[in-house]
Parts: sequence; structure tokens; C-alpha cells
Amino acid sequence: MREITYLEAVREAMSQEMRANEDVFILGEDIGVYGGAFGVTRGMIEEFGPERIRNTPISESGIAGAAVGAALTGMRPILELQFSDFITIAMDQMVNQAAKIRYMYGGKGKVPMVLRTPSGSGTGAAAQHSQSLEAWVAHIPGLKVVQPSTAHDVKGLLKAAMDDDNPVIFYEHKLLYKTKGDVPEEQYSIPLGKADVKREGTDVTIVATAIMVHRALEAAEELEKEGISVEVVDPRTLVPLDTETIIQSVSKTSRLVVVHEAVKRGGYGAEIASMIAESEAFDYLDAPIKRLGGASSPIPYNPELEKMHVPQVPDIIQAVKETLNKA
Amino acid sequence: MAKEIFMPKLSSTMEVGTLLQWFKEEGDSVEMGEPLFEIMTDKINIEVESYEEGVLLKKYFNVDDEVEVNACIGYIGEAGEKVPDTPPAASGESDAEEAREEVSVEENGEAASAHSDPAENKGGKVRATPAARRVSRENDISLSTVPGSGPNGRVHQQDVETAIAKGAIAVTPLAEKIAADHGVDLKQVIGTGARGKIEKQDVLAYLESAKGTVSEAHAPQAERIKLKGLRKAVADKMVESVQTIPHVTLTSDVDMTNVMDLRKSLLPVIEKDTGYRLSFTEVIMKAAANALAKHPKLNASLIGDEIVMNKEVNIGLAVAVENGLIVPSVKNVNQKGLAELTQVSKELGRKARENKLKPDEMRGSTFTISNLGMYAIDAFTPIINGPETAILGVGRIIEKPVVVDGQLVARPMMVLSLSFDHRAIDGAPAAAFLTDLKANLENPYSLLV
Repeated sequence: MREITYLEAVREAMSQEMRANEDVFILGEDIGVYGGAFGVTRGMIEEFGPERIRNTPISESGIAGAAVGAALTGMRPILELQFSDFITIAMDQMVNQAAKIRYMYGGKGKVPMVLRTPSGSGTGAAAQHSQSLEAWVAHIPGLKVVQPSTAHDVKGLLKAAMDDDNPVIFYEHKLLYKTKGDVPEEQYSIPLGKADVKREGTDVTIVATAIMVHRALEAAEELEKEGISVEVVDPRTLVPLDTETIIQSVSKTSRLVVVHEAVKRGGYGAEIASMIAESEAFDYLDAPIKRLGGASSPIPYNPELEKMHVPQVPDIIQAVKETLNKA
Repeated sequence: MAKEIFMPKLSSTMEVGTLLQWFKEEGDSVEMGEPLFEIMTDKINIEVESYEEGVLLKKYFNVDDEVEVNACIGYIGEAGEKVPDTPPAASGESDAEEAREEVSVEENGEAASAHSDPAENKGGKVRATPAARRVSRENDISLSTVPGSGPNGRVHQQDVETAIAKGAIAVTPLAEKIAADHGVDLKQVIGTGARGKIEKQDVLAYLESAKGTVSEAHAPQAERIKLKGLRKAVADKMVESVQTIPHVTLTSDVDMTNVMDLRKSLLPVIEKDTGYRLSFTEVIMKAAANALAKHPKLNASLIGDEIVMNKEVNIGLAVAVENGLIVPSVKNVNQKGLAELTQVSKELGRKARENKLKPDEMRGSTFTISNLGMYAIDAFTPIINGPETAILGVGRIIEKPVVVDGQLVARPMMVLSLSFDHRAIDGAPAAAFLTDLKANLENPYSLLV
């Protein structure tokens, strides 16, 4: 199969859908000739023109409001926020409008839109351009939340997000844009709410999201040398969450480590841990559930401190061993 | 700053001390040098004095608790100072928080070994993972009987499975509840269910029989004495010695005619000199010390995988005391005359019986003599006082027919029983030592040479 980058996979998913569906268009800051903050839409304005690749003023609230309005009138907008940190400005539109309208009007209106935005640290972009705020939106009924970790997943999940009749917050990790993977050329859809077991194992389950999937896989590789068999589950979508796959995995391994980049306090890992504690997997737990997440501080500008802020491979290895009383 | 009170290490072999009593209560003020508590080691009972002045803030252990050496057993400080509710880990181990930060493998190994007891915790609840609980439930195993391998003794699934494989106590939940309500130790109950599972009627039957023994006050009942204190120390030491040391015992008849003459003539001299009466024990000690100097292998200690050739000849004297046995050590016996030996032995014997021996007086023996000559005992098989490698058992002196120069005559004879550690000493050198000792006693004037 052909290998392309995560970034190219995002662009391809949008381009293919826009060729097939006239209602789909993109709006965002500098997404035209400049190609967006990370170059995802580069070259698209040449193919689809400024009507469908729309540059907007610097107002996330305005962009989100325009997208909600367009969606209500029958369009299927994709909006791009330069950095996911800026979703705070679009929050009223997303939380109080996009997420609620279909429900409040008894299904007479719907808001089929995708909010795409790059998240995560690791680029030296400091406190206001490095956060992972997915727990904010995962808390809101009416919003779906997607965090793809590979080029293959991002294409299929973006197709499903564009096809969905509800607003979808679609997180693209900055460090993943350059990662490569096998991606089919044709369009395909990965259903929202279907987790992926990225590696099978028997001793401990790691549920990891976005970039942490890769760190968990690296940790699993190391741990295998010590005879520890790790299963890595990538939920891929936080809302809806594929609880069944996670429960099955934990029931099998009896141990759970949850890893995400977002600050641990109040992070989505707490939701996964609680879900397991409430599930039938509880009776199979043979060690306390462990959560790894970002430190309770703004993300530092200093590159070394920035690394220390978020879980790294040795942290995951250590957590797994503690779970097995082997630390 | 509150100061920790540690369990002192009073001898090279001491691993734990048993608390016999506290002289102070929490809140009492303590002077430096005041006795704080009394402990018993594998060798001795001793009062431990305070190194600090202040208020006894915390006692972590109760009477009869066994405490590892260097473990913190309490705090002394200023009134109102905060101290931890649970004893901090012994020096050398760090507490759980630190261990997590330090990522140290060997410390965790140590910590794990300390966590092998069944994981009973506050309120009698067992610390166990959900999976361990499920497996114990499915197999009707009482979790309180399962030793936990996890942190703080947490019971994991594997622990329960191991316990099942080893034949843990199976009990129905109802039976366990009834037992808990009545404070019944499930180990005492005989199960009649499948594979010996304890069921409700088994616990009820046990309760009934327990009641029965109370009402039948006239039925003769065995008195049960808990193995504790010095008795426990002696018991542990004996088991250790017998289980680890391959004992061989040699015996030899000794003609004591000349020793009896010697004692008779020295008795008034030494009594006048020291006020103590010379006994055969001192003469035997002197003769043994002389022979030990010539046979240093019998004076050696076996410590770990090393045979330590001791330079001093220090003879331990087994002294029977109430409820046990202690062995004070007489130092440099080969350099002492009979008068000094008599005085030292008698004083140590008295201190032993009065329980006033100092740790120093219990330490350092390189050979032990156990004398049962006051009883109708000829020979016996003494147990070696490790890490020493030999012990001499002394029997009674009794007239026996012996052949001297072709004539059958009556002579005062005594049997010596020498047990030696066959790991350190072989039969021939041990026999040579006993032969020399016999010669020393049959001709005690050779000790003057």
C-alpha cells in the first residue's frame, strides 16, 4: 500500500470528500494560499477556489458561528482553528449552539460540522499554543470528539466525521502531522466509537490517545524484552467511547494504565478509569488503575521542561512495572 | 525535632527484639539515661535507656511485639510535636513515597520481603485487589488467610491462586461471617464440606464444643502456655541450631580421681581467697581452655561461609534459669587461674539467674560447656550454641569399676559428651581434642606446665 503522512491523509480525506460533495467547504484563518498554520490545506485553494476554501478574519468565535449557521442551512462545513488552544474563544458557539440546537429543536435542525484543530505540545510553542483541551469538549453532550493517532486512522475517521450529522471536534496532533503510514487511496470510513487494539498483550492494558499511542507502543516494545506483555488500546474517539473494547481488554489483562498528554487532573483518563471501576472489569482488576497525564502547570517554553511536562516512554514503562509490582 | 527511638542491635546475631514492657507511657517525660523499655533478644533481657530528654510522644509497639533491629519503635520530643501515626520504615529502607521517587530496585526488594504477612488492615479488613477477591469468592477462600505479595501486603490474584494450590482454608461466606462475629479463628475449625471446606455447621459445632469446655469445669484441662519471651528465644535458637548444624557427638570416660584430689586441696585456698567454692566446672573449664588452645579448630566459629579462627578462648556456661536457658561468657579462660575462674563463673551464674547480665557478658563465647553433673546423667547429646562449632556436655561423677594395671578397682568416673559441627570440624580432630581434654583431667597437674 502507498505510504503518506498524517498531514497528507487529512488533506486527502477533505479533498476527496469535497470532490464528491458540493456541500462541503472549509473555513479558517490563512487556510488559502498560505495553506493554514501547519500547511494542511496547502494547494486546496488552487483546486477548489476561494468560495470553498474560505479565509476568515481572526475570530474563532466568528468562524465557529458562521460554521454553525452554514450547517443549519444545509451545508457541511469544516472549520480549521490554527491551534486547539483557541477553541476557548469558539466555546460559546460550540457548547451553547452547535451542541444544543439539534436537541432543543426536537431534531428539526441539525449541525453537521467538523471543527479540525491541531493540539498537543512538543513544538516549543509554549503555554498558549501547546495544550490538549479535549476533556473540555468531551464533557459536552452533543459534541463528538475524535483523536486519531495514525495516518490511516485520520483519513478514515475524518471521512466519518464529515458524514456525521452532529458537530465533531477533530483533534490532529502537531507532532503526528509528519508521521507516515500506509493509507488506502480510495475513500473509506472508520466508524466513530470504535477503538483499535494497536498491539495485543496479556499482562497489562495501556489505553493511550494521540501521540501517546506511539509512546505506549514504544514502551510495550521495551517491556516485551523483560517478558512483560502489553496490550495497547487506542480509543480513537473519546465521544462516543468504545467502552466494550477497553473493558474486554482490562478483563483479560487485569491491569490498566491510562496515558494522555492532557493535564492529568480532570483529564479524560479519569473518565476511562472510572468507567472501568464501574464496569464488570472491576472484578478482574488485580492492581490499582494508573493514570499518566500532563503536569498541573502551564506548558513550559523551555524544551526540556516541556518534555518533562508530559508522559514520556520511561514514565510509561515505570507505570506498567508499578502496576505489576515489578518497579 | 522529635527523635526516633530505635530497637537497639545488641549482638551480632540479634535480628529482632521482643518488647517485654514499657516503663513510660505516651505523654510521660523522660530524662536522658532513664530506662524507657525492656526488651528481650535471642540471648538476654535488658532495659534500654533513653538517649534523649523530652516527652515520650509515641509508642508504635506493644508488649510481646517482635520488632526488627533498627526499626523505629517510638518518638521522644517536645510535648505537642507531630509524629507519624505509623512507624517510619527502618533506616536503610525508605518509605513508600520516597521509594516511588527514587526508582531503586534493591530497596523495593527489601520492602517486598517485609510485606509477606496476611494483609489484615485497619478494621480487620483485608487489603486485596478486586481480582483477588473474585478468585477467593469463587473458591470460597478466606482472604485473611492469604499472604499478600503486593505493596502493604496487598493480596493479588496470583497470591490467592498460590494459596489455593497450597491448600488454603476454604470457607463459605456465611461460615466466615459467623466465625468473624464470634471471633473464631478459622484455622481452629475443621471443615466437613467438599475438600475440607468450612461450612456454617462446622463453625457452629466449633462454637458448641468451645462452650462445652467452659461448662465442663471439672474436666481436666491442659494448661496452654504461649511460647514467648525467653522460652521463645530458646526455642528459636535450638531449632535454628539443630536444623542448620550437622551435629556429631563423641563421648569419653574420664577418671576424675586426680581432679577430686586437686579440688579437695584447692577448695579452702580459693574459698579463703574469693569467698566462692571451687567446683568441678571450673576445673573442667580450665582443662578445656588448655585443650582448646592446642586445638584451635574446636574454638572456631562458623559464620556464613567462613570458619573464623578465634584468638580468644571464651567459654560460655549454660545456666538454667526460670523458664529457659542462658549462656554467659567467661572471657580468656586460658589466661585465668582457678581462683579468678571460680569468682567470675559464680558471679555470672548469679547474674544470669537474677536476670542481670549485661549484653557484653553474653557475647563472644567461642565454646560452651553444659554441666548436668548434679543430676543422675552420664552422657547426653548437647546442642551447639551457634556460631560456635563445638559444645562439651558434662555428666555426673560416679564410682565405676575400671581396670587399672590388671586390677579391677572402683574409680570416680565422668562421661564427657562433645558435640561438634561437622561442617567445620571432622571426627579425627574432634576426637584428638577430647583425648587431650581427658588427659588434662586425668592428670590436672599438666595444667600447671
